[in-house]
This record gives sequence, structure tokens and C-alpha cells, in this order.
Amino acid sequence: MQTSEHNQALSSALKGKARLRVLGLTFDDVVRYFFGGNAAVAVVVLALILVFLLKEGAGFFGQNRTNIQVYRKAGLEYVDMMRAPLEEFSSLTRTLNDVRLKRFRALLAEGRDTDGANEALKEYDDFATAFGAAASEARGVVSDITEVATAVKTRAQVSADREDEREMLLKGGKAEQAAALKVDVVDYEKEIKLITGVAPAWKAAVTEMQEKLRGAVSVARGADWGKGDKELAKVLVKTENFLSVLPKADARMAAWRWDEPVPLSRSVTAFLFGREWLTASFWQDWYGILPLVSGSLLVSLIAMAIAVPFAVSAAIYISEVATPGEKSFIKPYIEFISAIPSVVLGFFGIAVLGTALRSLSQVEWLNWVPGFPMSERLNALTAGCLLAFTSIPTIFSLAEDAITNVPKHFKEASFALGATRFQTLVRVLIPASLSGIISAILLGFGRVIGETMVVLLCAGNRIAIPDFTQGIGMLYEPVHTMTGIIAQEMGEVAQGSIHYRALFMVGIILFLVSLLINFVAQRVVRRYRISIG
Amino acid sequence: MSVDFATPTVSLVKTEPSPNSSATGPIQATAPVPMIEVENLDFFYGKSQALHGVSLKIPARQVTAFIGPSGCGKSTLLRCFNRMNDLIEGTRIGRGHIKIQGIDIYDPSVDVIALRRQVGMVFQKSNPFPKSIYQNISYGLELQGVKDKARLDAVVEKSLRGAALWDEVKDRLHTSALGLSGGQQQRLCIARAIAVEPAVILMDEPCSALDPIATSKVEELIQELKKQFTIVIVTHSMQQAGRCSDKTAFFYLGKLIEMDVTQKVFTKPAQQQTEDYITGRFG
Repeated sequence: MQTSEHNQALSSALKGKARLRVLGLTFDDVVRYFFGGNAAVAVVVLALILVFLLKEGAGFFGQNRTNIQVYRKAGLEYVDMMRAPLEEFSSLTRTLNDVRLKRFRALLAEGRDTDGANEALKEYDDFATAFGAAASEARGVVSDITEVATAVKTRAQVSADREDEREMLLKGGKAEQAAALKVDVVDYEKEIKLITGVAPAWKAAVTEMQEKLRGAVSVARGADWGKGDKELAKVLVKTENFLSVLPKADARMAAWRWDEPVPLSRSVTAFLFGREWLTASFWQDWYGILPLVSGSLLVSLIAMAIAVPFAVSAAIYISEVATPGEKSFIKPYIEFISAIPSVVLGFFGIAVLGTALRSLSQVEWLNWVPGFPMSERLNALTAGCLLAFTSIPTIFSLAEDAITNVPKHFKEASFALGATRFQTLVRVLIPASLSGIISAILLGFGRVIGETMVVLLCAGNRIAIPDFTQGIGMLYEPVHTMTGIIAQEMGEVAQGSIHYRALFMVGIILFLVSLLINFVAQRVVRRYRISIG
Repeated sequence: MSVDFATPTVSLVKTEPSPNSSATGPIQATAPVPMIEVENLDFFYGKSQALHGVSLKIPARQVTAFIGPSGCGKSTLLRCFNRMNDLIEGTRIGRGHIKIQGIDIYDPSVDVIALRRQVGMVFQKSNPFPKSIYQNISYGLELQGVKDKARLDAVVEKSLRGAALWDEVKDRLHTSALGLSGGQQQRLCIARAIAVEPAVILMDEPCSALDPIATSKVEELIQELKKQFTIVIVTHSMQQAGRCSDKTAFFYLGKLIEMDVTQKVFTKPAQQQTEDYITGRFG
């Protein structure tokens, strides 16, 4: 009797779960589906973002190829072969101007007045004028042909636009309107003949230029006023180099074919290794990512060079040296930095830091610092300093965790053997947490390279590869970054245009860089777990 | 004035003949010179008192075992001997002294680093550094600035032989110490401790994480080591205390209840509490 009652109680207890079912689901099931659902949504959203990014970016290479194709067909490439030597020549004449300015200043310092100085430089001026005038014929030829090529390109673009429009109409079922739309087909062959027809005139102009330049160089070499000036001698040597290289352009121009197809690889290399990012240009748009990558890297490296020593030292101090009182103050204080909105930091950079750094660079007794005084208020260094500030909390927190997480018994063993605090730190704690510290630095780097607002506001936004020949001075050059260019230009491009897709490609490159950094950081962390067993 | 714990005092103690090496006599008529002397010690963690008026003398070159239930203060006292408690925030000595070779080690003039070189320690959990076997042993000497490769080699071999580990690891001295088994790691830690030639070795439950075979190896080792070092061992195992110690101190609730020759404590304890504990009636 008792046993059966007992059995009943047991079975009702075991079946008790059934009473909690709602819509056939127990509470446990609901919890499981809720969390599982959330995780699934996160995965799907991330996948959609990736697909969108790739879809929008992928069309770029085809469009860029067409872009380069038009550049070739319309003869712009041909004209650029003539423009290139002229630009080189322009830089030579600019250097001559610099040399004159220096001499002029030297003369004033000797005590002459302005007129006297000008008088003394008369012979130099004559030489410089003759030098500059040597290219006037060639410039004329190029300037004429530039207009022709631009016109061809414009017509090609208009007809391409019309073609697109017609296709849209056909797709929309408006066949009549489509038929009415006149598409002006550009006869490239005819136009190109016009452009390549300039070759004899160009050749004549180049020959004239060579002769005049040789004459000018020999005058400068022989004259008294040119003796002992090293910079002038440099310009003359450069000019001679220029003259010897000049004929090579002719061979390239002769070999050039307007109808040679552009391979897709050219479109890819023009993007990845292109040295120019030039948009909305009257001549030719280039989407080369190098200036942006180098700008991003320069700014990030400056930031890391400043942030790493501060953040890692602070982490070591907090985890090993600080008293509990200091710890409870400094740690939240540093972590508070990440609460400052980056736009506020950028504003601070423009209003305070940029100006302060430039005034500092103008201080007389700091002249020995390479690159001082800096010419731009907003430059890579300004942005780098602020980025360092934003990355310090990331590096500090993670590095501090890494050091604190070194098992206590390593520290005890070291102390028990008679090690000082410093010896324990250097010989045990840092080696044991090194990979943690490295991954903290990498994650800080990832944070910095993805930061947008600060660089947009403070990096100076000049799209150019930093001039590495400047040495330290390149730190003070304004640069543009991958993140900055997306933020700046995405708002004003037409959806689906080549520029739009180019920005997406920049986004993808940025994404890949961040992914790589995170991947490496995780690998390092995994090693770190093994190493401390 | 800083008190120097370096070699002279040590060599003095080490060359001193032990007047009574046999601990089995009923009463130690001529007690050996105490290595460590604790006088009326009160010890606090913050506001809670962990030791109440403990006084004892630990003879040189013998094994002294501390037994007692968890939380009785035996590990705390052990960690006072090399001032490892300094690393814990809020600890302090309330009253009393600890003297090692007659020097009050809590005197402000004492160099803690030198003290710890003289009073080595082996921990409950074997804790070799994530370095090679060789580097683990040479670490203590390198801290003292020894760079002579030949001397380091000699010390590494001597220490590993001393810890009965040499034959097992001589072919892989430069592989990671973390690749050793638990028992080997613990003997490596002992080798590491003796490499700096301390006067005293403190062992805080050195065998609690080891299997019986590894445990018996460590116990044999302790018997070897006591010829050269003063050993203080904290253990939860009555058998271990009985097997390898010369003297046993029983602690309960932060007080030293009884300390005497091991055989006497285990056969004819003077206090009822001791008898209850070792016969398993409480604790």
C-alpha cells in the first residue's frame, strides 16, 4: 500500500515538467530558442554586410578597366607620355627658383638692398629665363593636343551615358523613346589620327628644347656666377640626366596603339599600386589606393610609437607597483579616455593640439629637430598624437589583464628565490605575459587604423604618398587615410558610379587589414595560453 | 645597518656539528642550536588574528613538521619565516619576534631579498617557470648576477642530483620544464630552491598534489636533504609527518598546542587535543 503511494508520488514528480509546457514548449526550450535566435541573427547580419560589401566593391575592377580603356582610346595615355617629361622639367625650373631665392637672401644678408641684389642676380636670371623658355614650344604642342584629347574623352563619356540611358529605357519597355535617343558613336580611329599626327611637331619641339637646354647648361657651367654653388650643380646634373632620358619617350610613343585592349590585371594593379587618387578631374580619374594606405599606416605607426610605451608602462605600473589607492584611481581614469567621443578629440586636435605643435616647432632653439618648423598645422603627427590617445585605453586594459593573469605562483616562486620586484617583473612576469601584451598592441593598432573622425579632422587630408626622402620631416606632412576618404567622399558620389565602387574597395581593403590584425592577435593569444600552461 | 644573511653565517651554521642528530631519544638532553626561534608571535590578516602567542624553536638540520586542521595557522607561520606574507596586503606582526640564527627577521634593517636567499621555499602546487629545466635551476643564481657558464652548469647538475632528478632529465635540460610530470616538477622546484644554497627550506604541503609513488620519492629526498639543510614542512598527512619528521608541532585555531619529538607526539601526546586530532576524532 505504502509502496504504491510512494510510486505515484515519484511518477507525478517525474512528469511534473509536462505542466510547464506553453505552445508545446517548455521553459528551457524557450530560453534556448531565444538565445539561439539572437546568435543566428548576429551571424546572418554579419554575412549580409559582407555580401553587400563584396557585391558593391566587386564591380569596381570592371569599371576601372573601362575607365582605363577610355583613357587609352581617347588618346589621353598618348598625351600623358608627352606631359610626363614636361612635368619633370617643371620641377627642375622650380628648383632653379629655390636656388635664386637662397642666393637672394644670402645677398641681402651681405648687406645689399633689394635692387642691388636683383642687379647682382641679373646673369642668373637671364640663364633661368632661357632655361625655362626652352620648353615653351613643347608646352604649346602639348597644350593644344590636351584640348583635343579632352574633347574626345568628353564625347566618349556622353555617348557611354546615352548608351546606358537607352538600355534603361529598353529595360523599362519604352522602345520608342529608346529609338529616338541619338547615340553619337565616337570614331576613335579618326580622332586618334588627329592626336598622333602631332608627333612630328612634338619631335621638332623636343629637339629644339634639347638644344636650348644644352646651351643653357654649358653657359651656366662656364660662367663665374655659377661656380661653387652645389645646388645649382645638382640641378645641372639632373638636367643632363633628363636630356639623356628624353629620347626614350619617343620610342614608347611610336610603339603605342590606341586599340590595344587593357587587361583586367592592369585595372587591379592600377588600384592596388596606383600612386594617385584623383577624382572629378578634367583630365583622367585615378583610383590608386597607395596614398591612402601609406597615409593610414603613417598615422597609425606614429600613434603606436607614442601609445605603446605609455600604455604598456602604465599597465606594468598598475598591475605590479601601484598601491590599491593609486590603482582604484588610475585604472578607471585611463579607461575613461575611451568615453570621449572621437569627434570631440578631433575638435581638440584642430583647436588646440595642431596650433600648439606648430607654435612649438617654430620655437627658435628647437630648430635642430629634423623637419622643424612644420608648415602645416594639421598633419600626420597631430592626428597620430590624438589616435595614440584613443588607443591607450585599449592597449592598457588588455596589457594589464595579461600581466595580472600571470599565475600568482610564478611570482611567488620568483620572490621566494630572492628576486627583487624589478627582477621578477623583467624575468618572469613580462616574458610570461609577452604574447598577451603583443596582442594588446595589435588590437590597439586595429583600433587606430579603423578610427575615422580624428584623422578626417586632423590629418590634413592631402591625398599624397608621404615623401620618404624627407626623413623625419615626413611626419609633419598632411596625409589622407582610407577611413577618412570613405567618410569624406561617400556622401557625394552617385550610387553605382566607379567612384562609389572605388570607395567600397577601399572599405574592403580596410576590412581585410583589420581582419588580418585581429587574426594575428588571436593567434598570439592562443600561444600565450599554452605558454603559461 | 643592514643585516647580512650571506655566506659567512651560513657556513658557520653548516659546519657546526649537530650535537644530537638522533631525534629518537626520550628527552633531548642537549638540544641542538635552534635555527629558527619564534617568540610569542601574534600575526594578523587585517583585523583577523591568525596566530596567537606562538613560541617554538626549530632545530638546525632536522625536519620539523607542522600539522593541524585547515586554517590553524601552520602555513601562515611557515610563510612568516621568509616573509612571503609581506606580499599579501594588510598583514602584520602584532607582537613577538622571529629570529633566524639569532637575527630578528622583521627588524627594519633586514634585507628581505637576502633573507629569502637563505630561506628557500617549495610550494603546494609545483610551480616551475615557463622556461627550460636548466633556466629554472639557474634562475636563482642569475638573480645574484652569476654569469659564469661553467659555474652555472655545475650548480644545475649538483642541484638536480641533490633533488634526485638528474638521471631523469639530464638529456633534456633545455626543454620546457612544463613537460615534466607532476612529481618531477615538484622535485625540480626543490632543486631550484637548493641551487641558491639556503640554510632553511620551507615546504608548504609539497606532496598534496602528488601520487603515492611521487610522494615517497619526495619523502626520501627530504631525508637526504636534512643532512645539509634545516627543513620545515607543513603537511596534512599524519603518516607523512610520522615518516619523515624529527619534530612535530601541532597547531589548532592559531595556537601552538604541542611541539615535541615526533615519536612522542604520535605515541604519547601531552595534550588531549593533539591525541584527538592524530587519532582522527576531529579535524
